[in-house]
Amino acid sequence: MSGLTISRRGLLAGSALLLASTALPAIGRAQTPKKGGRLIVAADSEPRNLNPAIVASNDVFFISSKVVETLAEASFDGKDGLQPRLARSWEGAADGRSVTFKLRDGVKWHDGKPFTSADVAFSALQVWKPLQNLGRTVFKDLEAVDTPDELTAVFKFAKPTPFQLIRNALPALSSVVPKHIYEVGKIEDNPANNAPVGTGPFKFAEYKAGQYYRLVRNDAYWGKDEPYLDEIVYQVLPDRTSAAAALEAEEIQLAAFSAVPLADLDRISKVPGLKVITKGYEGLTYQLVVEINHRRKELADLKVRQAIAHAIDKDFVVKTIFLGYAATATGPVPKHDPQFYTADVPTYPFDVAKANELLDEAGYKRADDGKRFALKLLPAPYFNETKQFGDYLRQALAAIGIDAQIVNNDSAAHMKAVYTDHAFDLAVGPPVFRGDPAISTTILVQSGIPDGVPFSNQGGYKNPELDALIAKASETLDTAARTELYKEFQKKVAADLPLINVAEWSFISVARDTVGNIANNPRWAVSNWADTYLAG
Amino acid sequence: MTRAIRLLRRRLVGSVFVLLIVVIGSFLLLEAAPGDAVDAYIVSTGGDAGMIELLRHRWGLDQSELTRLANYLWALLHLDLGQSVTFSRPIRDVILERLPTTLILMGSATALSFGLGSALGIYAGARPGSFRDRFLSIGSLALYAVPGFWLGLVLIVVFAVDLRWLPIGGIETIASAKTGLARAGDIATHLVLPVSALGFIYLALYLRMMRAGMAEAWRQDFVLAARARGLPRRRLVLAHVARNALLPLVTMLGLQSAQMLGGSVVIESVFAVPGLGRLAQEAVAGRDTPLLLGIILVSAVLVIVINLLVDLAYAFLDPRVGAGEAGA
Amino acid sequence: MKRLHRFFQTPEAIAGALILALLVIMALAAPLLFPGDPQAIAGPALLSPFQHWSLPLGTDRLGRDVLAELFHGARTSLAVGLTAAAAALLVGAVVGTMAGFAGGLIDEVLMRITDAFQTVPSFLLALAFVSIVGPSLGVVIAAIALGAWTGPARVARAEVLSIRERDYVAGARVIGMHPLEIAFREVLPNALPPVLALSSVIVAAAILTEAALSFLGLGDPNRVTWGGMIAEGRTVLRTAPFLSIVPGIALVLTVLGVYLAGEGVVESTAVRRSLS
Repeated sequence: MSGLTISRRGLLAGSALLLASTALPAIGRAQTPKKGGRLIVAADSEPRNLNPAIVASNDVFFISSKVVETLAEASFDGKDGLQPRLARSWEGAADGRSVTFKLRDGVKWHDGKPFTSADVAFSALQVWKPLQNLGRTVFKDLEAVDTPDELTAVFKFAKPTPFQLIRNALPALSSVVPKHIYEVGKIEDNPANNAPVGTGPFKFAEYKAGQYYRLVRNDAYWGKDEPYLDEIVYQVLPDRTSAAAALEAEEIQLAAFSAVPLADLDRISKVPGLKVITKGYEGLTYQLVVEINHRRKELADLKVRQAIAHAIDKDFVVKTIFLGYAATATGPVPKHDPQFYTADVPTYPFDVAKANELLDEAGYKRADDGKRFALKLLPAPYFNETKQFGDYLRQALAAIGIDAQIVNNDSAAHMKAVYTDHAFDLAVGPPVFRGDPAISTTILVQSGIPDGVPFSNQGGYKNPELDALIAKASETLDTAARTELYKEFQKKVAADLPLINVAEWSFISVARDTVGNIANNPRWAVSNWADTYLAG
Repeated sequence: MTRAIRLLRRRLVGSVFVLLIVVIGSFLLLEAAPGDAVDAYIVSTGGDAGMIELLRHRWGLDQSELTRLANYLWALLHLDLGQSVTFSRPIRDVILERLPTTLILMGSATALSFGLGSALGIYAGARPGSFRDRFLSIGSLALYAVPGFWLGLVLIVVFAVDLRWLPIGGIETIASAKTGLARAGDIATHLVLPVSALGFIYLALYLRMMRAGMAEAWRQDFVLAARARGLPRRRLVLAHVARNALLPLVTMLGLQSAQMLGGSVVIESVFAVPGLGRLAQEAVAGRDTPLLLGIILVSAVLVIVINLLVDLAYAFLDPRVGAGEAGA
Repeated sequence: MKRLHRFFQTPEAIAGALILALLVIMALAAPLLFPGDPQAIAGPALLSPFQHWSLPLGTDRLGRDVLAELFHGARTSLAVGLTAAAAALLVGAVVGTMAGFAGGLIDEVLMRITDAFQTVPSFLLALAFVSIVGPSLGVVIAAIALGAWTGPARVARAEVLSIRERDYVAGARVIGMHPLEIAFREVLPNALPPVLALSSVIVAAAILTEAALSFLGLGDPNRVTWGGMIAEGRTVLRTAPFLSIVPGIALVLTVLGVYLAGEGVVESTAVRRSLS
């Protein structure tokens, strides 16, 4: 159960474990799942395009994963960390050129039409590969999908593609949409993008902009006795402080994705009737990263980057900014990842004297005012914690004589400044680790990526050796050999510091005691909630 | 009557120019923004260069600025506000959905600040310099000095979380399927806190204006004369002193309407009220130029109409005011 | 002297003056009492007030000294308020004088522009402007001034209209002074007092607008402002209420002080206050 790493690290470890036990169905309290009821959940953003096959991101999944299902979902104890959804089994060919999915029988779309392999073929070839933000990379070599019968789909790849990668990509990238609805007109303009139709336990009912999304029970769902809930309503609460108030006032029953500020958790855990849950996000790890613009002459110097790494007190960051709900990072793969992580990498313990020494060696002596040089620091605006870390980093750099000026931008301006215009020296970013380094991690350090691609290497870093390693890993079929290559990758990144990994965090849920079967898989918040129920 | 028509005509001609300046000015401001709608969209989705280009083409963002401005104005001439890129719906529909909420919020808050403000102003101004005058005047100022968002947060903690008298936010109980009177009552209870937060801030304005006007009126000849005639104090205060001080307050009402609309941006965000103010904030964050232009245009029209009504009312109330004077 | 005497006649004016004096002292003393960066981490995070003698008002989420932030915040808040008001008054007075003095088409065009600015809610304008240009102290000040100059412009114009027909203006015309010179040397100075009477309202509004912008995450991250402190403290409103109450009180007192003193000045100079 490596999935528990993060919660064990929590300050509230004791109570967290206690609470976690209520969330596990097998050893849960003597509550029997009850049918019926409306679950009201806080939502802090309003995604416009709700099609998870096109927009594979967590704020879309949060709502759409209950409506549109994937081929497989992440699991704490399933084989390879997966449990079947629309696919019952999957098999990769030895040459890496094909993957065969056996599909679930008797599944119906919300409009009553049967779900078949044609839908999977359509979704893969017409949606994931050409249109999906992540699928465009992972499925780039997908050539055809054969459908020998209605319940078999065979993915054919033009180049050998590691089965491990496809497997790891299933939970986030394989949302299946109905062919009969999407084959009419342009896929991007389809009305179902705003009112999704799927096979999931809940049907999309309505969206009132600025107010709520409402999902209702799918009576014809394939899961036995599922779903338990009659309705799920996502109440839009744009202000970061309102989720806690709404929970206490019993207007909502669940706030996921740390909608309750971390600093409020200690207090709210003592409110009768509410529980704080640290589990259920193990598959959604966010990484706190210092992005570096290697076009700056000072930052192109490895010694300067090492000095910055030594100047950051990672324990302070975890303890003060994340209040213990995070772990310090050693490299580009998070510690609790069961497949790829290695601790055997160069590390940079907090050492201000060493950092100063390194800067002196690099030839950047302190001027009379104690400053060596000035930098522009752009913290990403998406999370409270990235902004707070920006404030901290400015202080940490001041201690080693680097004068950092913070530039606060809103999302669009940050995007443009960092990923298109490269108008930054240092940036604070929250990339997501999605279970396999090839999905969204290697792109952070790989060279040759065009301008404007978000969450990619836009710092002008170029390391032919590392590029070769990434290329080799992407076509290595043997799982053990591929894993070994990614361990090598972590070592190289930690040694050369194209970016600095500071911490890894996932999220916290707060719910009323009556909500059952919470956090029973590693991507719970973005899974289908078919077995979630409301007691009493 | 002819005076009213002349005023109306003059105003309408002027308003067209004003609106044109507003639209072109806002368009240029938004064009200067770093990052466009695609940058804002891609933040939540991620994507590669090809996808970004595709989106930019689909949303017409690869055309020149001048072309887009010309297209926008041409469509506007046909009363078409265009298509929102973030909502992928006609902007008219998006705005019409939010407008009533903001109108109710603003209207109630204005009624509260104007009604309570002038009433307390009369109470304070009836005895200038008295303790109650000073207390009310400084008390309302202190309220005015509290940042609106902070007042809102405290109201939520006290009345919604601790006492549980009122809901924490929103405009109505979500997905409740209430209709008719039950729904109206539901909306009313949801509005109590945001209206108070917004209204109490502007209360000071009317209160202080009223008492200042009254303080002045006390010194005027006709009041002194009425006093000498031995008019009962209550009648004197209401019929002579307060009545004279009321007119400038009406003008203020028009001037304040634009500010109230601005203040509602923050209040709507704190109370999760789905109104125009929040929509405007979303439009800025999403770099949805046509949507923001639409909102600014609609609020400008709103402000112009309110001011026109106020001027008409003023002209009606006070015949001394010439139509020309109210222009400019 | 007499005017000063008159100013101190009402207790309100005295209170206002005292508050402002205290504020100025705080602002001036900040770098002496709290040298160095007020945003430096000084102790454990979220320390309550009166727990530790060296951190009398406690610390915030990162462990920064709240008292030091409060003193340095006085500097920024005052700077924002005064600069924004000065800019708004200057622009307003110039535009108003030009419109009123020139008349005709220039008047018409300038006044339509003023109308345009007045029909757009000033906070919305500030919000859009700061999001677009990016939050820094200068931009915030400009954004606030952008929405505040119309009031002074209108008052100045009205005043100029009444002044421009007076004898000394006609005299200046006769001796052949350049119209611009007449406008800015003869007319403007005489039109100023009622315009300046608006300054307290504008300063107070500027301080509040800065706070509201900070609340929406549009403050300058490299400076401490009270608005920014309140905005940061609000996420822990229940756990550590002092973090938003302490700067909140400072903000309320300041706005109150500015108003009361402003009113005292207006009353002592016997200039009728005109809010519009």
